[in-house]
Amino acid sequence: MKEKRIGVFVCHCGLNIAGTVDVARVVEQIKDYPGVAHAEHYIYMCSDPGQELLRKAIKEKNLNGIIMSNCSPSLHLNTFRKLVASEGLNPYHCEVANIREQCSWPHNAEKETATRKAAAIIKAVIEKLRRNISLTPLVVPLTKRVMVIGAGVAGLQAALDIADGSYEVVLVEKSPGIGGHATQLSGTFPIAGRVPCMVSPLMSKVASHPNIRLYAYSELEDISGYVGNFQVKIRRKATGVDEAKCDNCGLCLESCPVKVPSEFDRGLTDRGAIYIPFPEALPPRPVIDRATCRHFNGGECHACEETCPQKAVDFQQEDIIAEEKVGAIIVATGYELFPCNGLAEYASDPDIIDGLQMERLLSPSGPTSGEVRRPSDGKVPEQVVFVQCVGSRDPEHGVSYCSRVCCMYVAKQAQLYQQANPHGQVYIFYMDIRSDAKGYEEYVKKVVDEERVLYLRGRVSRIFRDGDKLKVWGADTLTGKSIEIAADLVVLATAMVPSPEAKELARKLNIIADQHGFITEAHIKLRPVETLTSGIYLAGTAQWPRDLPDTVASASGAASKILSLFSREELLHDPTVARVDNEVCRGCGQCVAVCAFQAIELDPVKKVARVNEAICDGCGACAVTCPSKAISHKNWTARQFFEIIDIATAEYV
Amino acid sequence: MEQYAILSTGKQGALGAIRQFLTSLLEKKLVNALLVPLELPTGDNVVPTIVSRPEQIQAANPLAPVLPVNAARLVSRITLLSPSPEKLGVVLRSCELRALVELVKLKQALLEKLLLIGIDCYGTYSIADFGKLVKESKSPTEDFLKRAREGKEDPVLRRACQVCAYPAPMGADITIGLFGASLDKGIWLVAGTPQGEKVVQELGLEAAKGEERQSAVDKLIEERAKKREELLKQTQEAIKGLDKFMATLATCINCHNCKTACPLCYCKECFFDSPVFEFEAKKYLGWAKRKGALRLPNDTLLFHLTRLNHMVSSCVGCGMCTEACPNDIPVADIFRLVGERVQKMFDYVPGRSLDETLPLTTFKEEELPDIGV
Repeated sequence: MKEKRIGVFVCHCGLNIAGTVDVARVVEQIKDYPGVAHAEHYIYMCSDPGQELLRKAIKEKNLNGIIMSNCSPSLHLNTFRKLVASEGLNPYHCEVANIREQCSWPHNAEKETATRKAAAIIKAVIEKLRRNISLTPLVVPLTKRVMVIGAGVAGLQAALDIADGSYEVVLVEKSPGIGGHATQLSGTFPIAGRVPCMVSPLMSKVASHPNIRLYAYSELEDISGYVGNFQVKIRRKATGVDEAKCDNCGLCLESCPVKVPSEFDRGLTDRGAIYIPFPEALPPRPVIDRATCRHFNGGECHACEETCPQKAVDFQQEDIIAEEKVGAIIVATGYELFPCNGLAEYASDPDIIDGLQMERLLSPSGPTSGEVRRPSDGKVPEQVVFVQCVGSRDPEHGVSYCSRVCCMYVAKQAQLYQQANPHGQVYIFYMDIRSDAKGYEEYVKKVVDEERVLYLRGRVSRIFRDGDKLKVWGADTLTGKSIEIAADLVVLATAMVPSPEAKELARKLNIIADQHGFITEAHIKLRPVETLTSGIYLAGTAQWPRDLPDTVASASGAASKILSLFSREELLHDPTVARVDNEVCRGCGQCVAVCAFQAIELDPVKKVARVNEAICDGCGACAVTCPSKAISHKNWTARQFFEIIDIATAEYV
Repeated sequence: MEQYAILSTGKQGALGAIRQFLTSLLEKKLVNALLVPLELPTGDNVVPTIVSRPEQIQAANPLAPVLPVNAARLVSRITLLSPSPEKLGVVLRSCELRALVELVKLKQALLEKLLLIGIDCYGTYSIADFGKLVKESKSPTEDFLKRAREGKEDPVLRRACQVCAYPAPMGADITIGLFGASLDKGIWLVAGTPQGEKVVQELGLEAAKGEERQSAVDKLIEERAKKREELLKQTQEAIKGLDKFMATLATCINCHNCKTACPLCYCKECFFDSPVFEFEAKKYLGWAKRKGALRLPNDTLLFHLTRLNHMVSSCVGCGMCTEACPNDIPVADIFRLVGERVQKMFDYVPGRSLDETLPLTTFKEEELPDIGV
């Protein structure tokens, strides 16, 4: 080992460190430690004069190893490594000894101990530094294309932002049409507006954008690779309709003898086995639902095939696996609703509907042309009860979290109903009103003040059928009275839950889904649109319940992160990754099994492990698993750990 | 599904019948070679040997109650780089077979072209005790079998064998079944796989039911389980706390014999033999100064803890480590004690099946909720 000439720079961080640690004494103790050629302390090492001190010392004392003892390496390690590099040293000979977060802060009442500990931390890092080798960042190629999974508002907005930024986007949507749940909505809040006016332009822009390749009715089959270099396989499910021939005349839709509940109208209407989700759906072409189509279920039915003037129906069509190469991925898989019949106390009844069904009833393009009529008999309801927080904020029966949009859309639905039915009466059971975004509080207040809406603070204990009416038993906790309402229609504001496939998708993508199935962000405050797997981002309600403004903001956030990633020509990858000693490796493959990044494989000929350095995240799981330590972490070798432990425990053994 | 056939013994006895069975495997080219223990000319030990000429089988003695080496280690040696080019039969006791399965999971052995021949095991003696037995008896193997089958406790058995949980082989193509058979009439051949069935068919043996074997196995397992409980309790008491544990390991001379004898310690170079553990003199003196005294060789505790950490989830309890220790440290007892708990925690039986993946390198979303990670 070539002896290093090490410089130690102890930062006061104002009083953050120096208020607890006697920095002058630390310097006294360190300056004669083997290998140390220079030691000093300064009030703010990260400041310009602090950095100048460092520069000067490197030159004058001919230093080739630098210990910055200051705050956490996550704050300033890069600052100092850059500086060290600009002085001609390899940056990996600069290390941080964290004497703030790991010393002065937790020990601020024990000055003497903290001072001793600070010196021990520095000595430990000196021992590590002495054994560091020079490293060069790895250069990784960058494919400047993006895959967006999910074509709801979040996916559409993100795709559009990136495509407008002149990069190609592969947009994958599992259902036959794009637009997501937003296409089902009747109107927006806090400014009353028609959702189609907002979503339709977004949809058509995406569908016609030259930079966007749309895979509708498709799912992610398989993925490999890493940031900048993902290879994805997309299963394009057979639609049974030849896209090139179909002119969307709609004759097939009428010919189909099958009737199944329409997903778009949430069961309020039926669709055929060959169907388009809704008239303005994009792409404008029908698909055959093989699960319900008579032809595919033992029947001889050829109705649509015979009807089609273009001969576009093709029962023989098979799924196609498309392969794409992308550099980044956005997960925008959206939400579903907690089921209406998810609570035993509330009966299953056609007139007990969820928020999205109410949206369909209120929508001018809905099954009742926007006139709210109850599903059981088509009567216009006079007494309408809304129940908020159904399944949400209820960890015993549903989910623990707040669904965030229900307070607002219930107010909107009540307003729309009331304006069309001035003689009707609306009751809203709520726990408390959460109206915490721009214009929301004012909007709710307006509904409360101006409409015939009775807000009742309390929960509903039972809902059951009683002749022509639905009996709603509840409590008004403000007056302490129990309440019974004979309602014509009950709307349950059920919780937003993540798309049921999200967990499986997360597993495929090697990202984390929480206990509910929402995708977990890299850092809830500082990295809210990134996942812990670099190159994979998230947008919209795949992450958490969100309303439209928040969804669009998070989608644009994810897009901007990718645009900034793509501003480089190639990616630089931290070289502190795993390496294999072929002489020692026995090829048992345990490292392959524990690698969460699929960065290790076994060389079939040499029978030793092989690391793909571009994928390796440097987490070290392989190194701790390898029994002979044939695989280790560059600049974090077993011997370096031993030396650190030896010093760290010196006072205790 | 297991299929039983009878291998009749008659005058030649069980050992004779087994030799005849092995000979016919070679003669009928059902295997091209056999790995089987052969008696030494001196008679006081057996040595695993690859036999390709049928007449050599006359010295084979897989019943001799002695286990000089866990032969899984040898199968790994043979098949580490490439699978056997020809059909190779390997005669293994239960602990050897289970170790082999673990080694296959660790990619240290290949099963292609192997015929796994298991053998019911009443337990084995240490090499020294077997030597004594040979001196005292004209027909040591037969005498041992007779005593073992009377069901009396045999204090000379290796401790690992006295507490063995799986005396009957698992996962063998063919098992030579002794439990519950009347040795003077016939023993069982139990086909456990289609490959085994084919071999038994080729030999044209009479089919049988073999219920007696299962009940005999159950009885033996039950007796040994009791004994195991006792031993684990004693071991737990003996090594409780750092001081007692250190005292138990105090005579360790860092020879690493336990590691060499262990069928599962598969590293090319043991981490503890690597330069990571070479320190400068000032380190040793520094440690001595710091603690007041430094016992040498040092790092013995770390060595045993590390080996536990690496091997205990796959430990099959063959006890070769204890046999190999020159200073009689009860290494195997410690491994049994820890292994029993770790393996239970993961519902893992090492060597039970190739379909069960190594628990420490298998990710499960819902696992060990009590630990609360």
